[in-house]
Amino acid sequence: MIGAALTLAGKDLRLELRRREVVLGMAQFVIVTLVIAHFALVAVGDRQLPKAAAGVLWIAVLFTALLALGRAFAADHEDGALDAVLIAPIDRGAIWLGKVLAQLTFLAAMEVVAVPAFWLFFFQTSGPDIRALLAALVLANVGIASVGVLVSALAQAGRARDVLLPVLLLPLLVPLVLAAVVATLGSFPGGDGSVRALGFLALFDTLFVLLAWGTYEHLSGD
Amino acid sequence: MTKRAFPGATWMAVSTFAIPLSIALIFWWLPDDADQGFSQKIFYLHVPIALTTYAAFAYGAYAAVRYLRSRDAVWDLRSYVGIHVGTIFGTLVLVTGSLWAKVSWGLWWNWSERQLNVFLVLFLYYCAYFMLRFSIDEGERRATYSAVYTLLGIALVPLSFLAVRLLGSIFHPTVFTHEGAQMPGTFLLGFLVALAGMLALAVAMVQLELRGKRAALRVRELRRRLVGDDL
Repeated sequence: MIGAALTLAGKDLRLELRRREVVLGMAQFVIVTLVIAHFALVAVGDRQLPKAAAGVLWIAVLFTALLALGRAFAADHEDGALDAVLIAPIDRGAIWLGKVLAQLTFLAAMEVVAVPAFWLFFFQTSGPDIRALLAALVLANVGIASVGVLVSALAQAGRARDVLLPVLLLPLLVPLVLAAVVATLGSFPGGDGSVRALGFLALFDTLFVLLAWGTYEHLSGD
Repeated sequence: MTKRAFPGATWMAVSTFAIPLSIALIFWWLPDDADQGFSQKIFYLHVPIALTTYAAFAYGAYAAVRYLRSRDAVWDLRSYVGIHVGTIFGTLVLVTGSLWAKVSWGLWWNWSERQLNVFLVLFLYYCAYFMLRFSIDEGERRATYSAVYTLLGIALVPLSFLAVRLLGSIFHPTVFTHEGAQMPGTFLLGFLVALAGMLALAVAMVQLELRGKRAALRVRELRRRLVGDDL
């Protein structure tokens, strides 16, 4: 199953390397969002800015993730490739896992651009606790990708799929965003650590990975 | 399947007895709260309605699980009706909660209050359910996708509670603790009567709506046969 998932993820990544649509778009979008946020928070004083910035980072990451998640099944639908994958003698869970792995790569690539830009726009002076921030990013990515792929598959069935994806996905990710913001605040200079929030993110991931993996087999079976 | 003239009649009767009784108890018999005074009386409506909302959502999720196991369209319908009734009660929770908040805290909405936030997330999540359901054409696919989405709520509820605990302040008066209800017996009686009334009303509404939906399906089936149209 892992092999099949890796093959499918590899296919999505190869497609992206040739077309370069999603990741470049995500990188630009996240930068523009951060710039807009900086101007939107113009009334926030310098001392309060870092605290507000933790929220800005996660709003930017989440909305940017929606771009890639919305395209997660697009290529497969356009040329009917999904039907071929469904006929293949592999577990449905492998399809889900393959998509999640591809999304995780996209998210990581986007964050490689987003996090330094975020630091440049909002801080510049002192560094965060890199390990805590990285842990928050990795754990949140797993949550966003695993729930996101499942919900993206659900949204594909609807008529207004572009509208449907954020409407369905965002309420589910509220607890994740809350914990990610707390974890990020904890990693800032003078923050009080992020262990509890990271633990919560791990719990979120575990529950939703199991739930998404278990229910995905019911989808796309018709 | 029993066919009664008026589905939900029993529960409707229970609720038409219990809800006026609870209102009578609340306004004429129960003493005012020592701390919050008269405004605290909305507690006897707000909390039972909230618990009923959770019960209706839980029923919807349970029916979704049953649907995925059995693929019987009846469970899909039950799941939908449970969530629909839950959303109606949920709207009432937000309204009564806002009123109570305005009177006792001076604010229509209090973001530092845990249970409000959890409830809001859940309410938005179930509102999205209708978006999904009504953008897919009727049939097995719609039923399956709706059920899968409903199931995600099972993880969302406990996680939301836990998440707001990470940041949430302790602002809400904790009436129920793990040592049992922290209120005198007379208060508890008023509360329980109101809860029974609301639950009975919800059950009656579910039964009534189910009957209506089934009748609509049946009419369509009959019409299709009459016209001889197999589409």
